Amino acid sequence: MDEKEKQAYLEKYHHEKEKGVPFFPDIIFKDTVVILVIFVALAALAYFAGAPLEERANPADTNYTPRPEWYFLFLFQLLKYFPGYLEVIGVVVLPTIGISLLFFLPLLDRSSKRHFINRPIVTGATLIGMIAIIGLTVLSIREAPPPAEAAGGDAVAALYIRNCASCHGASIQVATGTNLHNVIAEGKHEGMPSWSADLTSDQIDALAGFILSPGGSSLFAANCSACHSIEELVASSPVKLKEALGSGLTYEPHKGLQLPDWSKTLTPEQQTQLLNFLAAPDGQRLFATNCSACHGRYVAYSGEKEQLTKTISQGGVHLDMPAWKQKFSEAELQQLARYVVDPATAPEGKKLFQDQCAACHGERVPTAATVDEAYDQIANGGAHQTMPVWGQVLTPEQLDALVNYIIQANQGEDTEAGQKLFESNCAGCHGQFGEGGPNPARPNSVITPISSEEFLKTRDDITLAAIIALGQPDLGMGAFGNAAGGPLSDEDINSIVAYMRSWETNPPVVTAPEIEIQTLVMQGGEIYQQICAQCHGVSGEGNVGPALSDKDFQAKNNDQAIYDTISKGHNNTSMIAWGDILTPAQINQLVAFIRQMPPTEKPATPKPAEGQDAGNPPAAEATPTVTPTPKAASAPVFADIEPILKKRCAPCHGAMGGWDASTSEKVINSGDHGPAVIPGDAENSLLEKKLLGTQTDGTIMPPGGKLSEKELNLILEWIKAGAK
Amino acid sequence: MMARLTTWLDERTGFQQVWQAIFLRKIPKVNWFYTLGSATLFVAMNQMITGILLTLYYVPTPDHAYDSVQYITFQLPAGWYIRGLHHWGASAMVVLVVLHMLRVILYGAYKFPREVTWATGVILLLVTIGFGFTGYLLPWDQKAYWATTVGTRIAGAVPFVGDWILRILRGGNDLSAVTLARFFGVHVWVLPSVLLLLMGIHLFLVIRNGISAVPTRKD
Amino acid sequence: MAKESKMNREGFLKGAIVSIVTLIGAALGLPALPYLAGPALQKSGDQEWIRLGPTSKVELGQPTLFKFKVKTQSGWIVDEQELSAYVLSNDGREFVALSNVCTHLGCRVRWIDDEKTFFCPCHNAVFDKDGKVAAGPPPRPLDKFEIKVQDNTLYIKGG
Repeated sequence: MDEKEKQAYLEKYHHEKEKGVPFFPDIIFKDTVVILVIFVALAALAYFAGAPLEERANPADTNYTPRPEWYFLFLFQLLKYFPGYLEVIGVVVLPTIGISLLFFLPLLDRSSKRHFINRPIVTGATLIGMIAIIGLTVLSIREAPPPAEAAGGDAVAALYIRNCASCHGASIQVATGTNLHNVIAEGKHEGMPSWSADLTSDQIDALAGFILSPGGSSLFAANCSACHSIEELVASSPVKLKEALGSGLTYEPHKGLQLPDWSKTLTPEQQTQLLNFLAAPDGQRLFATNCSACHGRYVAYSGEKEQLTKTISQGGVHLDMPAWKQKFSEAELQQLARYVVDPATAPEGKKLFQDQCAACHGERVPTAATVDEAYDQIANGGAHQTMPVWGQVLTPEQLDALVNYIIQANQGEDTEAGQKLFESNCAGCHGQFGEGGPNPARPNSVITPISSEEFLKTRDDITLAAIIALGQPDLGMGAFGNAAGGPLSDEDINSIVAYMRSWETNPPVVTAPEIEIQTLVMQGGEIYQQICAQCHGVSGEGNVGPALSDKDFQAKNNDQAIYDTISKGHNNTSMIAWGDILTPAQINQLVAFIRQMPPTEKPATPKPAEGQDAGNPPAAEATPTVTPTPKAASAPVFADIEPILKKRCAPCHGAMGGWDASTSEKVINSGDHGPAVIPGDAENSLLEKKLLGTQTDGTIMPPGGKLSEKELNLILEWIKAGAK
Repeated sequence: MMARLTTWLDERTGFQQVWQAIFLRKIPKVNWFYTLGSATLFVAMNQMITGILLTLYYVPTPDHAYDSVQYITFQLPAGWYIRGLHHWGASAMVVLVVLHMLRVILYGAYKFPREVTWATGVILLLVTIGFGFTGYLLPWDQKAYWATTVGTRIAGAVPFVGDWILRILRGGNDLSAVTLARFFGVHVWVLPSVLLLLMGIHLFLVIRNGISAVPTRKD
Repeated sequence: MAKESKMNREGFLKGAIVSIVTLIGAALGLPALPYLAGPALQKSGDQEWIRLGPTSKVELGQPTLFKFKVKTQSGWIVDEQELSAYVLSNDGREFVALSNVCTHLGCRVRWIDDEKTFFCPCHNAVFDKDGKVAAGPPPRPLDKFEIKVQDNTLYIKGG
């Protein structure tokens, strides 16, 4: 626009203005009418729609799907198209360009043309911009993960929506060969959390299946979910699944059921989708469902990866097994058959097996369902099952995962190192066989077995490793990983996990240890003697806890205060909230009982431990019997007891403060309650009391159960001999 | 009597001149699209009034924010109404600003001599979006918390300085009491000051330069 | 004629503007008033029975001091306040609970056992055992709480 055009415009504008109307009232009238309409609309929205208010913000909620306000949706949607390092385009470049274009529009479009048809570039760009923004907004709304409930019966889709969709949108493209299970479990790229803590292994597999084959998920929801849970099918053999789908009504378990013929109602494509969805590429699980029936937990393999892939995908015929009945006596055959069915029932079969069978069978004992079947097989021999052609059943991803798993498993840790680490780090609380016991961090609660089949089956290696590394603060377990300041390296943790896995085939424990959680049906005085006297003294004279019969105490606290203290407890002290255990009436009785206490000035007398806290291990129920051992030729020195302390005490005492079990001097002198050891006087040493459970404060140590008699005696002898 | 009072006042304030300059000035004949600016101004005023009313009860700390919003919405008489107006006004504001802007682009009204008016308008658009972004967090409900988590994280994706921006926005690494306090401060003090200043300039320029006429096919 | 119609039109426009502005002003302003006055107008909710303690603690014929906590709600904040009450019983069946807040200016009264009266230290007010004003400036007797006995435990309400 040059000077002349400027002048011309101003002149023309002046002219139009003269012909125009006054701002007030003509123009303002129009304005107020529009304003009224808008105001009525706002008021109506406020009345009918209201201002939404959701649940209080919960930073710990991992299930919430964040959505920005609607006018940011287009930007939010835009970012989906710029993953990874391209993100910067969506975040910085495009918005900056857009705003700059807007801001400098008068400088970019300097022509004197004003009508929009005469400015095709600006008009066109505006149109395109608006269409893009509206289009992106609409897309974002349509792609919006519906609220989890809206996923209908499709539980896996709901799982996906809750956990993945907010970042990944409605679907994810995965490069072939990706180990999805690991990516989900460990979290991969920046910002993606590790899900193994929040999701079970089954859920992760279901998600992996969903991501690879979203169609399979809806097929599952529509056709299978009425009878089967996703966890059930994910864990079943792909061969069976394929058979069930392919053979229709002739499939044995489906016979006689009112079912459609899957081989006809589902197209081959749909069948593949379903299979892909159900058989997630999780090597560990694939091995367990497909291979372990013949190969046990483990197949020894040291060859090339390609060879293994070939063997698995093409299958093969195993060697024939000779008939053993000529070689073995009847008794031997019986023994072996029993051993094969259940090694525990016929331990004497082990030697026989190792001598005669291990050459071909390796360490793994072939499993058989019944003794008769096993007997028949051993006696008559015969061709083994042909190894199936897995290449027809498994997808390439699954095959990859399986091969990788086997290779990894073969490079895996030997369980011996894991066992040692477990015993020195975990056994203190979890027991030597992972059987659990009273929870030292929680009164009245139990550490459930971690060696049970149920526990190990429901957690994969990654989950177990994460639990060890990060601890379970909610349950009182500290973090053991190096990264979190713990003593264990990643390798250590892996070998512990490997050791724990070795329990899976032969779980040492099945049920949780029982501890009695007493329901107290006592009256005021009795409750006091059973519970309170331990800390507050038999007649309220005080001990660990304050003196209740004290005049000051009685004057300072009204009934309500005493009631509240009993009911709610004090944080960080052994005064727990008894309101969970006692009824209000019982607490009232206690208050009354405390009120009628005669003031006493007696010094505190430690009370022998009877009626310990309910959280005591069964071991403590037996009266401590310490048979005095004849004095050894030489009195034990610190070096003799050091291994015991290191193994049974140091995992908790030392790094965590309080009593330090690391050196002789510290063992004697450190501790929150003064010297733990009085050299030469075992009976009055706190250490002895803690080990025998005769103290009044807290539970017996170690919390997993009393030391063995031998260990105990050694320590006591050491104290008696002067603790040198 | 009235006339005498008017004269007395005018002698001392000169308001009649101002009144004439603003309200009695002549304007080219325009259509209904030209009401969008005034409508935006009205909604901005609505936001100010309802916003001020809301601050009388709202407390910007994580302990109290949600409770106080709940109190406003469900306990106070007409609280739902004030908050509803403010909430929907925010959306209306964005819609109207954009429509107003489209009208200006379509009629070429950003051209000489109204370039500066346009520039202030673009900044006002950004301020409006800033209001929306900061206001969203204040109720401290799930939606607020998570949308802001994501929103600030997006800012964190800027290369080199992203992490720095993220921490400045949040006042630390995580969304916390600090974040809430600064979002509140920006929403209630910083942005309104900027808004009033720019709105003043914008309106002054609109009055000084007059409303652009509807261009004809020949223009 | 033309001029008149122009005047009419202008008058109509002006009238319409004034009405619309007034309407919106009222629709925004009127609800703001109860909104502003809201907390002052709100009634305190139903009170609950507060547990005082066992009846056995009350000495017959003599006011016994009980302390208790009351939950008060102001706005969205629930607070706990410690209050006291004197409980009096002559026969162990009928109980009276008196507030220990002087009805004059709100100081705390205390029981003077030797005089058998309540005494307020602020302006030397004296109430007798039943809470009636015996001397001094208080305008009315000590406030009474509603009281009930359940399972030998005293509960009060009010205050």
